[in-house]
Amino acid sequence: MECGKVLQVLQDEIDGRLPPSVAAGVRGHMESCASCAAEAAAYRRVGELLRVWTAALEAEKAPQLDAMWTRVRAGIDERKDRGRFASQARKWFWLPAAAALAGLALLFYSSDVSRAPFNPSSFDVAVEDLESDTATVALVDRGEDLPRVIWIFENDKT
Amino acid sequence: MTRPEARPGISAPFIVFLALFLFAGGAASASPDPVTVEIGVVVASGKGSSIDPSLSSLRTKLQSMFNYSSYKLLDRMKRPLAIGETGDFNLPGNRTMRVTPVNAPGNKIRLAVQIMEGGKNLLTTTLGLSRGGMVLVGGPPHQSGVLILLISAE
Repeated sequence: MECGKVLQVLQDEIDGRLPPSVAAGVRGHMESCASCAAEAAAYRRVGELLRVWTAALEAEKAPQLDAMWTRVRAGIDERKDRGRFASQARKWFWLPAAAALAGLALLFYSSDVSRAPFNPSSFDVAVEDLESDTATVALVDRGEDLPRVIWIFENDKT
Repeated sequence: MTRPEARPGISAPFIVFLALFLFAGGAASASPDPVTVEIGVVVASGKGSSIDPSLSSLRTKLQSMFNYSSYKLLDRMKRPLAIGETGDFNLPGNRTMRVTPVNAPGNKIRLAVQIMEGGKNLLTTTLGLSRGGMVLVGGPPHQSGVLILLISAE
């Protein structure tokens, strides 16, 4: 393998991303090439320095991250509580409306059921006048508990 | 950044409740009360011996009053009418009935009733009923029987 080719894939070899046969070729080249071996050593040092620096940065920012997560959690809990309160309020404020609806339904239902179909409360009727241009009409009254009937005798039909 | 405050969902139920309350109160205090007029159109005949199930509450009354063996409910019409308002009801055989509630004292109802047949006055009368009361008008022939109108008001 030539140096130029090794330098192109050197970082991948350090990261372990090369196929075994290619990685073996790279390592074989570096055993006989001091320049590429030195380059590889430099890559590894830079990598280690980056890892140390990142760890130091994370350690430095840890308290700030913790504080931020605490605030996020507090916000989530607050929204949950508010949602629970709104839900409870909605549930309880529907109650009077539902009660009023039920009352009205009962009122109309009971009045309708007691009367219909054709279930009169009384047959007490006063007939003030009876007129017809084409028929003879009569009021039939057979007593208190029977309906009053106005009977129309159509002169040419009945 | 500020976020709009979420409003608890109480306004809609509250408005519904208020509307129902006002409706109920308004209905209770409205004066005079409208009259609900109900007309049952029955054809009675001597053919058959069936009584319409809708007329079961009147079965014994009908059998006591008339000699017909069959009673069939042809139509049932119900209409709320204000005092002075006229309601037209179509009857079989090119007949119509006009009903107008008129002023009456206390719990009484007065109905001005006119039945027309082909433009001629078949019956004009004024009836005084208790609320929930009923009166029958019968006689006009229909098919092989006669019509009996059940007029009730409350």
